[in-house]
Amino acid sequence: MTSTTRLHHTPKEDTSGVDRTFISDQKIITITTDDERLVRETFSLDPREGCALLFSRYYENLCSHAIRFVHSKEIAEDIVSELFTFFWQNRVFEQVTSSYRAYLYKAVRHRAYNHLKWQMHCTDSLDSVTTPLMSLTVSPDEAMQYTELHQKVEHIIQQLPPQCRRAYLLKRVEGKKYDEIALELRISAKAVEALVSRALAKLRKELKENWFLCIQLIMLFGY
Amino acid sequence: MEGLITKQLLLDFFDEKATSLQRKLVEEWLEAPENEELFYSYLDEWERKNPQFFPDRENAQQKYSALLRGEVEPQQPPETEDEDTGLARTYFPYKMLWLVSASVALVMAFFFRSELIYKEYTAPPGQTNAFYLEDGSHVVLNANSVLRVPRFFFEKGRREVWLDGEAEFQVKHTENNARFSVLMGNEYEIEVLGTEFTAYSRARGKRVFLKMGKVKLNLPAGEQIYMKPGSYFSADSLGTYEVSTPQQPEAITAWKEQAFFFDNTQLSEIAEQIYERFQIKIVIKEKALANRKIGGTFQARNADELLETLSELLEMKITQKTDYIELSTLK
Repeated sequence: MTSTTRLHHTPKEDTSGVDRTFISDQKIITITTDDERLVRETFSLDPREGCALLFSRYYENLCSHAIRFVHSKEIAEDIVSELFTFFWQNRVFEQVTSSYRAYLYKAVRHRAYNHLKWQMHCTDSLDSVTTPLMSLTVSPDEAMQYTELHQKVEHIIQQLPPQCRRAYLLKRVEGKKYDEIALELRISAKAVEALVSRALAKLRKELKENWFLCIQLIMLFGY
Repeated sequence: MEGLITKQLLLDFFDEKATSLQRKLVEEWLEAPENEELFYSYLDEWERKNPQFFPDRENAQQKYSALLRGEVEPQQPPETEDEDTGLARTYFPYKMLWLVSASVALVMAFFFRSELIYKEYTAPPGQTNAFYLEDGSHVVLNANSVLRVPRFFFEKGRREVWLDGEAEFQVKHTENNARFSVLMGNEYEIEVLGTEFTAYSRARGKRVFLKMGKVKLNLPAGEQIYMKPGSYFSADSLGTYEVSTPQQPEAITAWKEQAFFFDNTQLSEIAEQIYERFQIKIVIKEKALANRKIGGTFQARNADELLETLSELLEMKITQKTDYIELSTLK
């Protein structure tokens, strides 16, 4: 039984320029995307410029993506900056076979996930994530699972009682101090602390129950 | 299993709007490596459209450039304690010293930009979407429209939303007299206290129709207009505007009932409306046909329904071309 999924797009839509110059019986496929052609050329001339170009193109989007997992602006920015540092220092650009975009997103998700796990004190998971290997093996489900994970996180936060949610967001995402939040919400600092603890406990509990990534993660990435 | 995986489906999946059946299709689709590439391409686009916050890219870029040139060495920062967990913040081994010291400055500098764009309400082409905001205000979004509501919508003294498209608002008057603002881009802003109005912000221009209550309209270059119930403000894309009192406001709100109201309306104008609501491009072959006028109320859930009805009235032929629909006179 052959199963085919056709990619349907209206002609006026940009198809992202995926270069489909692979032949069906060819085993190894190098996926290159046309919209990164300029970046690739830049890399061949000067990898520094290539890295800088990638940074300017993807930094903000990657930060935005990271914060969906880690719920802290500071940490999201850290994660992305460190990823780019790692990318340069280990000359990852020489080994990437997918688009840079795909690599960067996968790496950010991986690191953000790590951090989330650490925060939730989830220790009963695979620690294979720390192996410094450049991986070419990709689990196809993974792309969806990461997305479902941050959606789950968002859900849990949305379910919190309003005041609890506000306190949590101000503390974790905005990075404000307890005193500042207490002023803004017009409650005591102790009350804020209690609310934030409650939110974190809820997150911990609900994520642990649904920690599907612990079992299914087979992707290895250098960190 | 055959399936049509469209970009919209992926975007819906990211927005948590996909059904479980659709998710299954995506899962299968992802098995091909080139599709995984597309996945991340669409993900990037979705992130671009839904920023969760605004990091200081210039600053970060400068620091990165310094690193690339070999001017900065990565070093272990001093251990700082996390207020929450009491655990050391240095989880990551190659923490940048400058990141720690700069982050304080960044947080301060971005105090006013620290709004996270929290929720985006959308209505896809051809459908309306009605919902309540946190403060009890009621919104009906017309087809092909987007409303963005910041995370702290209800907490501050002002309630601000961003509209790209068309919507009807029934704004709830709050106890602290928090003003409700609809930002329509290009420095147009509607400020209301408690009231009912429709707002339109699309490529063709900006329009506001006030049903009930009081509205102050802020225009570009500091101009302000106070509107009375029943008045209708209309500006084209160049900013030329006029305020009138329409005799038949049904034309302005027909969309809420999935209907179109025409009163001596030219077919060319109808084609524009179809594009706005359904994202379907229409080309009218003969000028005479484009100038033909129609009157009446037409119920139509999609472009085809409307065009069929119109084709009977106008004796015109509907031809589906590759990416547009052509209307021509029947010989």
